[in-house]
Amino acid sequence: MIAGGGALIFRLVLWLMLAPLLPGIINKVKAWVAGRRGPPVLQLYYDLARLWQKSVVMSALASPGFIIGPAVAWVALTGAALLLPLGPAGALFSFRGDFLLMIYLLALSRFGTAWAALETGSAFEGMGAAREVSYAVLTEAAVITAILSLSVHSGSTSLATMLAPSVGAGVVLLAAGLFIVLLAENCRVPFDDPNTHLELTMVHEAMVLDHSGPPLAVILHGASMKLLFFALLLTEAVLPVGNLAPMPAAGILVAGVLAVTVGVGLVESLLARLAFRRVPLLLTTAFILCLFALLLAWKGGAA
Amino acid sequence: MTTLLLAISGLGLLLSLPAGFSGSKAWLAGVLVAMTAGLVAAVVVLQTGEVWDWRGTLTVGGEAVHLRLDAVSALFLALLSLVGGAGAVYGREYWTEEKHPRTARWGRVWWSALLLCLGLVLLTANGLHFLIAWELFTICAYFLITLDRRRPEVRAAGWLYLAASHVAMLCLVAFFTCLAVRTGSWELADMRDHAELAPLFWLALAGFGVKTGLFPLHIWLPSAHANAPSHVSAMLSGVILKIGVYGLIRFSGWLPMPPGAGWMVALIGVVSAVLGVAFALGQHDLKRLLAYHSVENIGIILIGLGFALVAAQQGNAPWGRLALAGALLHVWNHGLFKSLLFFGAGSVLHATGTREMSRLGGLWRAMPWTASLFTLGAVAISGLPPLNGFISEWLVYLGLFDSTNAHGPSAWAAIPAIILLGVTGAMALACFVKVCGVVFLGAPRSAAAEQAHESGPAMRGAMMTLGVACAAIGLAPMLFWPMVAQAVSAWNPAWAGTEVPAGLAALGAFHLALATFALVAAATLWRRIRQRGVTRAVTWDCGYVLPTPRMQYTAGSFAGIITEWFSWILRPERHEHRPDGVFPFRADFTERTPETVLESVVEPAGSAVMRMARVFRRLQHGRAQAYLLYLLIGLAAMAVLVLIGANK
Repeated sequence: MIAGGGALIFRLVLWLMLAPLLPGIINKVKAWVAGRRGPPVLQLYYDLARLWQKSVVMSALASPGFIIGPAVAWVALTGAALLLPLGPAGALFSFRGDFLLMIYLLALSRFGTAWAALETGSAFEGMGAAREVSYAVLTEAAVITAILSLSVHSGSTSLATMLAPSVGAGVVLLAAGLFIVLLAENCRVPFDDPNTHLELTMVHEAMVLDHSGPPLAVILHGASMKLLFFALLLTEAVLPVGNLAPMPAAGILVAGVLAVTVGVGLVESLLARLAFRRVPLLLTTAFILCLFALLLAWKGGAA
Repeated sequence: MTTLLLAISGLGLLLSLPAGFSGSKAWLAGVLVAMTAGLVAAVVVLQTGEVWDWRGTLTVGGEAVHLRLDAVSALFLALLSLVGGAGAVYGREYWTEEKHPRTARWGRVWWSALLLCLGLVLLTANGLHFLIAWELFTICAYFLITLDRRRPEVRAAGWLYLAASHVAMLCLVAFFTCLAVRTGSWELADMRDHAELAPLFWLALAGFGVKTGLFPLHIWLPSAHANAPSHVSAMLSGVILKIGVYGLIRFSGWLPMPPGAGWMVALIGVVSAVLGVAFALGQHDLKRLLAYHSVENIGIILIGLGFALVAAQQGNAPWGRLALAGALLHVWNHGLFKSLLFFGAGSVLHATGTREMSRLGGLWRAMPWTASLFTLGAVAISGLPPLNGFISEWLVYLGLFDSTNAHGPSAWAAIPAIILLGVTGAMALACFVKVCGVVFLGAPRSAAAEQAHESGPAMRGAMMTLGVACAAIGLAPMLFWPMVAQAVSAWNPAWAGTEVPAGLAALGAFHLALATFALVAAATLWRRIRQRGVTRAVTWDCGYVLPTPRMQYTAGSFAGIITEWFSWILRPERHEHRPDGVFPFRADFTERTPETVLESVVEPAGSAVMRMARVFRRLQHGRAQAYLLYLLIGLAAMAVLVLIGANK
């Protein structure tokens, strides 16, 4: 029990401390491509520390849900992170059907942030929240199809055994599909541009316009955990990390997450944002990629 | 023991009939005693799995009274008791003598009568009595829906309900009489060894399907739910739709199934789930929106039932047990959170006098209890952890995943069902974020919303009871599993046993931890903000000088992206005057989602029938000479027929 508690705290700290590194790496890559020096890799840590110290400016219309929403969203994301197995170390909580809980925890976090966005009655935030929950319909279809293909391939209904083997023939399709989902869920280019400040054209940034101080810190930290979460999920879904010895597995996980992060940075540097009416098209493409991965897994399983 | 409890229950309801006519206190006491007794009886049967069977000497319609309570009907009786009791408490404050002097007493009497008839439907083991009780509760519900019958839209809704219910009744009369003719008695019991009865299931599906509100048989449902008094809407959605589900589950368990039944039920379930939530997104009327969510949730129940039927036909595959358990638990869950949501919508209507979401907003300040309890219901119905909606969806999903991994023919249905269930979940979330945000958050959009007030203690208490039940099933699913397992084994003895599905205990523990940590995190953040200080300021508006509440995002725009994807079936009607010129004089935009099935299928079909009837009516005009001519022509035709026959 005590060992379990220790492992829980260790893993929690690992997640909480490492997550804000990723946006820093992405920004470094973008700066490098553009030939700039860019902000330090640890910039988000400084930002979070500063925001945590600040006082809050709250809309006169906001209810306590303005604070509770981000807190619930953050807890949900942490819960989803703890359900994700880390290679051969496995998950802290592993049970049959845990993948469904993981997907629905992501949905709960969406509920929390979208709720908090609607608190202020601002049309910008309403717009951002509307986009967030609408595109989520398509990403949810893609994610659940991807998970289904993993389940069919491994014949299992628990994340630890589901993510252990590699997906086989559908691996490229699944990787592409999940990468698009990662970009959409984390509001990166080509779905959203974390750099712009033109509220009309954004999703995530538009939702958090009125947040400040500690709640904003919680939201930003949650977003970075979500990025790390999807990067790990993608790596583990594609590579057979679960069957390796601990050291190489850890190496591969780190390399995989770094590769995904650098990939996000490169996409962000090289692509422009899509027009909003094209977004559903790209998300549908992601869904179809995952669907073909599922069909390949199905063929493989039947043979 | 059970006999005594059920006798108390029946007696309490019977006594509450006259009591309701004179005053409300004795009536409430009678109903509450009856409902408590009913709930205890149902829980006893669900815990022990023993079937209570009672034959009386009294005969009704030439048939001896025969009552039976097994785990399947007890599951529904428990829901009926809980929602019936909560609805009585709520309704007493919602539909008071002062506000509705003409109808308040009738509302109480019909409520008691409805509960009594619904109880009889669940208990009776005789086909003829089932039909009688079914018709009686349909009529009780009609009078409750049309309590406020001075408004024409209420009368129209009531008429539509009555017409649809009697189409269903026709199918059911055919179903039960065929059953009685084939088996030689009205007794209802396990008839799975009569293979020739299988095709009758389609009649039952149509009959019970109308009552359940399956897509596209849901046409009566939105207007009835929207126009009934809110405690009646809660009863309609929470319990009466479930009585249709009860019929389907009961007779799919007792009858032999035609080969395609499971596939068909699952297909209808998927269609209802996806289109139900799509239509819900297009609604601007709070209660109509909730009504369409009933279509969605009934769809989820039917997906579970359909796959259970498929599994039963494939040699009782174990994944069917999960799907059926999910469906049965979702019956409870939907009954609880949908009643809670309708109570919440009723409080909003009570406080503001409008169901139009575009006239509401910012209600959390005046109605904090209603806002929080409605949100609890919204989280639960969106199927989010840690509440009850997720538990039942989790069971259904797990059944579908196991079915896929079994690599049988059912996998081809399970794969699309899983994906569409996920899509439904995400759309339900979008819809309820919209509802909560537009109704309770932001700034009031009208004077009525500004002057809203919190509802009284009885209405809040009724909502809280249901909210606690939602949370209890979500946080401690292990307490409720044995009861669901009993109902599953009563449906199909091959799945008997109480062993818990792997993962359920861990899921419950995780839910508990999640709820605790969410509370801790929220409290910590709250304290931090208190320490650092809060400044209240106007919402960021890009420096605009005159922000007004009308500039907030509306329900229509919020749902616009998704409703656009479904415009092929929603067929939204838009009227717009765009602003033009340098100084545009006026501009407006209205959008309405019609009842597509009703307005473009049923109504045209109905008017075609009426046109045909009008043609034939010309034959009947009251002129005796012409009638004599008809007789002559008829006789001549017969004579010709006879002659032809004779010549052969």
